[in-house]
Amino acid sequence: MSSIYVLIPLAILLVSIAIGVFFWAVKSNQFEDLERHGSSILFDDDLPKKPSKPQPDPNKSDE
Amino acid sequence: MLVKCFHCGLHVAPQHNYHTNVLGKRQSFCCPGCCAVADAIVNNGLEDYYHYRSEFAEKASENEDELLQKLKVFDDDSILQEFVESQDDASEIQLTISGINCAACGWLIEKQLAKLNGIMKVGVNVSARRASVTWNNQQLKLSQILSHIDKIGYHAKPFQPEQHEATFRQENKAFLKRLGLAGLMTMQVMMLNVGAFFDLFGHIDPQTKQYFNWISLLLTTPVIVYSASEFYTSAIRGLRAHTFNMDVPIVLALGITYISGVFATAQNTGQTYFESLCMFVFLLLVSRYLEHSARYKAAQASANMLEYMPTTATLIEGDVLTPVLAKSLKVQQLVLVKAGELVPVDGIIIQGQGQLDQAMLTGEFDLISKYTGDQVLAGSLNQLGTLTVRVTASLQHSTLNQISKLQTQAMSTKPRIASLADRFSQYFVVVVLLISCISYVVWQQIDSSQALWVMVAVLIATCPCALGLATPSALSCAIANLNSKGVLLKRGDALEQITLVDWIGLDKTGTLTEGKFTITQCINPSKQPDSDYLEIAASIEQYSSHPIARAFSLYESPFTVTDFQSEMGKGVSGIIEGIFYKLGAASFMDIPVPNSMSACNVFLQSDNGLLCGFLLTDKLRPKGTALINALKPYNVNLISGDIAPIVKSVAAELGINNWLAEQSPKDKLQTIKDAQSNNHVVLMVGDGINDGPVLAQADVSITLGAGSDLAKSSADIVLLDNELVKLQTIFSIAARCKTKIKQNIGWAIGYNLLILPLAVMGLLSPWMAVLGMSLSSLIVVVNSTRLLK
Repeated sequence: MSSIYVLIPLAILLVSIAIGVFFWAVKSNQFEDLERHGSSILFDDDLPKKPSKPQPDPNKSDE
Repeated sequence: MLVKCFHCGLHVAPQHNYHTNVLGKRQSFCCPGCCAVADAIVNNGLEDYYHYRSEFAEKASENEDELLQKLKVFDDDSILQEFVESQDDASEIQLTISGINCAACGWLIEKQLAKLNGIMKVGVNVSARRASVTWNNQQLKLSQILSHIDKIGYHAKPFQPEQHEATFRQENKAFLKRLGLAGLMTMQVMMLNVGAFFDLFGHIDPQTKQYFNWISLLLTTPVIVYSASEFYTSAIRGLRAHTFNMDVPIVLALGITYISGVFATAQNTGQTYFESLCMFVFLLLVSRYLEHSARYKAAQASANMLEYMPTTATLIEGDVLTPVLAKSLKVQQLVLVKAGELVPVDGIIIQGQGQLDQAMLTGEFDLISKYTGDQVLAGSLNQLGTLTVRVTASLQHSTLNQISKLQTQAMSTKPRIASLADRFSQYFVVVVLLISCISYVVWQQIDSSQALWVMVAVLIATCPCALGLATPSALSCAIANLNSKGVLLKRGDALEQITLVDWIGLDKTGTLTEGKFTITQCINPSKQPDSDYLEIAASIEQYSSHPIARAFSLYESPFTVTDFQSEMGKGVSGIIEGIFYKLGAASFMDIPVPNSMSACNVFLQSDNGLLCGFLLTDKLRPKGTALINALKPYNVNLISGDIAPIVKSVAAELGINNWLAEQSPKDKLQTIKDAQSNNHVVLMVGDGINDGPVLAQADVSITLGAGSDLAKSSADIVLLDNELVKLQTIFSIAARCKTKIKQNIGWAIGYNLLILPLAVMGLLSPWMAVLGMSLSSLIVVVNSTRLLK
């Protein structure tokens, strides 16, 4: 049982780091626009012509 | 097969033929505007946008040149000072952008702007529909940035942010931090305690238990000190104002539980409830945060509506014409007002004559002829002729500004209806406090060791958390639902009030009617088809800027017209294929109009005599009658600034019994005030500048998306797609919302009444009370979400 005397303080340390990171994220406006950045990973800029996996195109059904 | 426009998704009319190559394929477009935007996107190498987007774009507008001209105004220094923050060469501005509807739009705008030389930083916020742009003001002008965004089909404008928006934003961030901290800490404390609570690890020796207590105390302290600080300030604020708000019992419960927990830990005796404490704070914060961010979003949306487009004027100084801002004009200066321009300030015509459209100011829709020496008012539109106007009052003292002052006054005297839940929770809190005190005293006699925990359980179990959620959760779900139907609510509690409405005021021009002429009838005694005459009339009218001419622009105009002439207040004439045609009022014709055509107001005449007559009216918006019928149970009133005969005929056609004509903004305001003093709850629907004050005064006010800025700034609800029929939707959703609020309140109170005896009898420990309270809140929220459908 004595391991909890080390592990719990260690857990607290990790939690404090997590809180620090979260506060930093709020402060630097990471939560201002939740719609946009969720999909920004799909918009790869380094593939100028054809993205390897295009999103389903809403227009294809019209043709 | 129907083809959809590749850009905006609207159907492409078969006769239209606009194509361009996108993504290696030939695509069809509905209009030259959409086609040009798609071209611009492809040419800039941004066609991946069409891959990424999840929604169709907005239909592009067509008269780009006019707009680009207008954007030049934004290079004026006095405007820049108001909206732009500059540091050396770098300027920063916040823009509201209309047309953003998915994440790919943000990407597109950022990429497009990044191509401009001199842009330093662009950040597009998709959910707020805004962008912040930083640029080098030596290399680039603001108007260039705006027009660059316009090229790809979005419209960017500086805007006047809502006053409280900055505070809202700060509070939102603070909420998030408190919430995050409380959430993380709750997890830790729970982990430590749940095992111990249910004896999951078998026997825990007292030393370990004590250790757990200290750790829990350590982790709970930041939650109590930081995350819950909101409740303390709110409770103190309430007590200072001599009221018991919902936060008073919350603070009591928190304080008692925490302090006794500290003693129990320090003395190593008795029970601690740190995990319940953390969870309690966390759940409370979740509900408060949801409510707050809904209000923040509404504030942002309404500020986006108020995009700023300054009025400009052409100043005459000797022979020099200079464009200036209307607000900088001084008395005695001369300004030039060309056809199609807005009169910038109040003044007197010293040269020229014109026909003015004052509909926005007075509601009167017909053009008024003005001659040298006549007075013109700021905000009216010059439709015909060129005027030289001497300024008689600066913009601050103009009629326009006086109306807007009237509106501000009305806004501040608007009667406020305290929401149902607020009034109720007042009494509720007092009762809860009393009961918890009584149970403490009684339990002191029975079992003094339990007395404190019984009191805390009573406080937590009856915590009006669910009650507090009852109204905001239902309102925000109803608002989200209305939003998806094209109805923007600027004030959430307007929905609650709309169910109380028993008196409805409707504006005529632009609200019930379309506010423009439409050809409703063509009386044609000859054998020729109507379309022949319409084509001739349309060909002649295409050279005129009169509102009547716009009605003809819907028809094909295949002929070339020579020798076009227009006579003010009478009509137009021209020669087509050698025949001289005249089009205009009865008095403009050479021959008297026969009785068969007496209903008409515009006539066409050729060398051979009178050809036909057209009836042009300000057409009623579709489904108006259905709407009025649906509103029958209410006291419906038509209040218009237009002349009596027209108002009367519209009222008769729609079946409205009460109507008032020739009402000035002040008269309208008085009418509404009278109705309110007779204990009516007033709903006002209007769109013009002259409706601004009444919209502000009415208990609930609705305007159309096409309405004036003044109307939009004072209305509670905006019908974005101008469909008046949506009124019915609003009424029915408001009624459903009210039922849900009642159900929610009923449940919250019912639960509390049910749990109260258990808590008083000591059958409930604090952790059970917290769990019950959260379940109760959850039920309320789930019930509210049914309003989304």
